[in-house]
Amino acid sequence: MIFVPVTYRGGVYRHNEVVDLIEDIGGYIVQKQVIASDVVLLCFVPKDDVEQLRSFAKPLGGEVIDSPLVGTEIAVVIPSLEIHHLPHPACDIAEYLRRLGAKSNMVGLARGVGKRIAALNDEERDVINEHDIAVYVLGNFEKCIEHKMPILRRGIEVPIVLCGAPDKEALQRITDPPVEGYVGNVGRFMHRTKESEELAKMDEIIAEITKVLDTKRVSIAKDPISVSPARLMDLIKEHVPEIHDVTSPTPLTVQMNGLRVKLPYDTFAGQIRSIEIEDGVKIGDVSDLTPSRMRDYILIRIRPFSETNIVV
Amino acid sequence: MQSIEYFEVECPEPLGAEYYKQITNDVLLDHNLIRVIHKLHIYVDPGVPIFVAVGVLHKITSLVRVRDFAAVNPLAGKIVLVLANETYLAPMLKIFLERFGQDHVEQTDRFTVVLRDVSVDAREVEDIIVAHPSESVYKDLIYAFKCIAPEGFRIRREQYTKDKFFFVASEDPLTDEVDALVRSKFARMGEVMA
Repeated sequence: MIFVPVTYRGGVYRHNEVVDLIEDIGGYIVQKQVIASDVVLLCFVPKDDVEQLRSFAKPLGGEVIDSPLVGTEIAVVIPSLEIHHLPHPACDIAEYLRRLGAKSNMVGLARGVGKRIAALNDEERDVINEHDIAVYVLGNFEKCIEHKMPILRRGIEVPIVLCGAPDKEALQRITDPPVEGYVGNVGRFMHRTKESEELAKMDEIIAEITKVLDTKRVSIAKDPISVSPARLMDLIKEHVPEIHDVTSPTPLTVQMNGLRVKLPYDTFAGQIRSIEIEDGVKIGDVSDLTPSRMRDYILIRIRPFSETNIVV
Repeated sequence: MQSIEYFEVECPEPLGAEYYKQITNDVLLDHNLIRVIHKLHIYVDPGVPIFVAVGVLHKITSLVRVRDFAAVNPLAGKIVLVLANETYLAPMLKIFLERFGQDHVEQTDRFTVVLRDVSVDAREVEDIIVAHPSESVYKDLIYAFKCIAPEGFRIRREQYTKDKFFFVASEDPLTDEVDALVRSKFARMGEVMA
């Protein structure tokens, strides 16, 4: 079954029926947000049933939008968490990603500033590698980006989208070896992105990220993962009641080939490993559970079919 | 930036200069420093690396008095002050409490202060000096240029005289050549650093 990431937006009135329908057609709700009288559901639904959901939502005044970023966790990497980069442009980009369904985390480097002193430590490297994709938001000078980029990407294994003030061609020219995506004319600025051309730039970032994610999806499809991350999410919700007490907005963060469980590793990893998915196949059989470098969370990496010979 | 007579950003990378002009504009606007600066020249060279800002200030003579931000209404046995903004509320209350005592000063809401049974008339209250903006402009300028300068440039040197200032920042130790650079940037504006 092929799942499509979509967002449902509508009113609170009868939204439970939409939730029931998504569950009945075999879909998964990744995140549910109730904001005053509005409901936003980020979900995966079977490709053949999207139209059914769309026609069901119409009389309720709701809409179903394709959201390629749903079910992805994106790191927005900035040289530091100083006023030079926050709240603009880093928060603007992270917020824009969130609006379109991605789970974005901001990674402010401890020593990412300057040209000579810039560095990436092992914790930062590991945290970035736990994401599906990293968006590097760098500064205004070609010379600095050229000098710093090889240092800041050392050991990064996830696809990178590089944003900087030089235009796209200049970024491509100065980045060696090339990264997966480039967005030019987005450097350091100190005002809120609200002009139409700035918002168009945000859309360009999203388009570039979507392009890179699509490439990653294609490579995952060549050797499919043994179980859908959204299915694992549902199973953990069912079997580990403690997850409902976690106050984080996304206690279970779905990624493209895994899941971040915001529960302590030492206490819950064994319990999660032994949860049965289907026909005696346990979570531990098809995935690796490792301690995350982010707090004491659990990181689940689902193994591909070529390693497990199982698809459930 | 109408009140700045001269404003240039010099940089070997033209696009970088454009971005830094925008950043400078935004930061100075945010910190209400546009009206303070008369001339400003910024030089950034990421290759060296160095950031130099030299400028000439307008003469700051104005003092902030109560009447500049509050309407003072004398009523029977009390004077009611209605504030237009809260910027100087804290220093004003401090002065009132010291001068009239806690029993005579009451803040009824965010924008209203009542003085009860005080021995001064409304005109005298209006004339009370609350702040000297010239005292803090140096600190504000330095803070603003710390925000404007590239972030890794943590070795700084700054100087501020009566009407001129310079701010130099770099990632590497600053050499004596910086003084000549500052002088040349002042000369670009037709000025001489005292």
